[in-house]
Amino acid sequence: MSERGSAASPGEARRSLLTDEVRALKGKTKVYTAPEPFGAAAGRYFALAIGDDNPLYFDAEYARAHGLPGVTVPLTLVCETNQYAGRPMDEDGYAGHTWDLDIPGTRQVRGGNTYVFHRRIRPEDVITATWRIQDVTERITRSGQPMLIITSKADYTNQDGQLLAENEETIIFVALESSS
Amino acid sequence: MNIQDETNIHVGQVVPPLQRTIRLTDMVAYAGATWDWHRLHYDPEYVKEKKLPAPIVDGQVFGALLVEQLQDWLGPRSFVHRLSFSFRNLVFAGETVRCEGTVTEVAADRIVCDLRVVVVGEDGGTARIAVAPASATVLLGRADGPGAPGEATR
Repeated sequence: MSERGSAASPGEARRSLLTDEVRALKGKTKVYTAPEPFGAAAGRYFALAIGDDNPLYFDAEYARAHGLPGVTVPLTLVCETNQYAGRPMDEDGYAGHTWDLDIPGTRQVRGGNTYVFHRRIRPEDVITATWRIQDVTERITRSGQPMLIITSKADYTNQDGQLLAENEETIIFVALESSS
Repeated sequence: MNIQDETNIHVGQVVPPLQRTIRLTDMVAYAGATWDWHRLHYDPEYVKEKKLPAPIVDGQVFGALLVEQLQDWLGPRSFVHRLSFSFRNLVFAGETVRCEGTVTEVAADRIVCDLRVVVVGEDGGTARIAVAPASATVLLGRADGPGAPGEATR
């Protein structure tokens, strides 16, 4: 979750956040293609980081015995990694996909994700991530502050155009309480 | 083939929990493994400036832990086809989380589980909810998904 926020003048927070500029975000698309195959090491590194010792990630014979062509990587990694993005780090150290949204007078939080996996990632897969903003809506919080809900989705495909996974993500911009 | 009959999974069955203490070292490893070096996840000075008590665990890791929980339970011939989760509260470096779940639907070739991730208190109980609601659809009897060649389903 992010705790970043932008300043707003007193009284501004109760204005609608759903401006024409924000509405126009719907349909915006960004496409990234990794410069190299996913790699078995990426999966083994991630498995080690999260403490998952499943042999499917490092033992090819075990993986083949269970019907896979070889080692795979932890299922959610394709949705978590920024490997494909090929972006430099920003001043906070972030180097992944972003919509570069700056909604003044709000703080940004993550709502959640829905992943659909179509097949396991193979080390030779070269990932293309196609991100698209699906919807932009506004609601009012219990404390009466407007909040903006931005739903976007990534389709992850490989070099043969096979759909590997989908990742629907919700980002929420909550208006900061007015200081007046 | 009715996979569910073989595994004897039933509605209401509790998914064996997965408990994990997430140390700052684990978070640094996770940052490297995901190519996400946002300072919120490991830099004490940075989080102090943001008035947070400690570095924040990247919420995406809970999706990985929920899949691990299900795969550890169901074995290599299972495939998490769909996973949905909502964030509720931040989790900080050094805290212990527990993934919990219950089977809510059982079909011939798949099950659906309600899941959540809680922060474990000193007494072993639930200190607060990190992730809820969450749910997963898991295909049984196959190591790979519907987008893979057919041999993985045999």
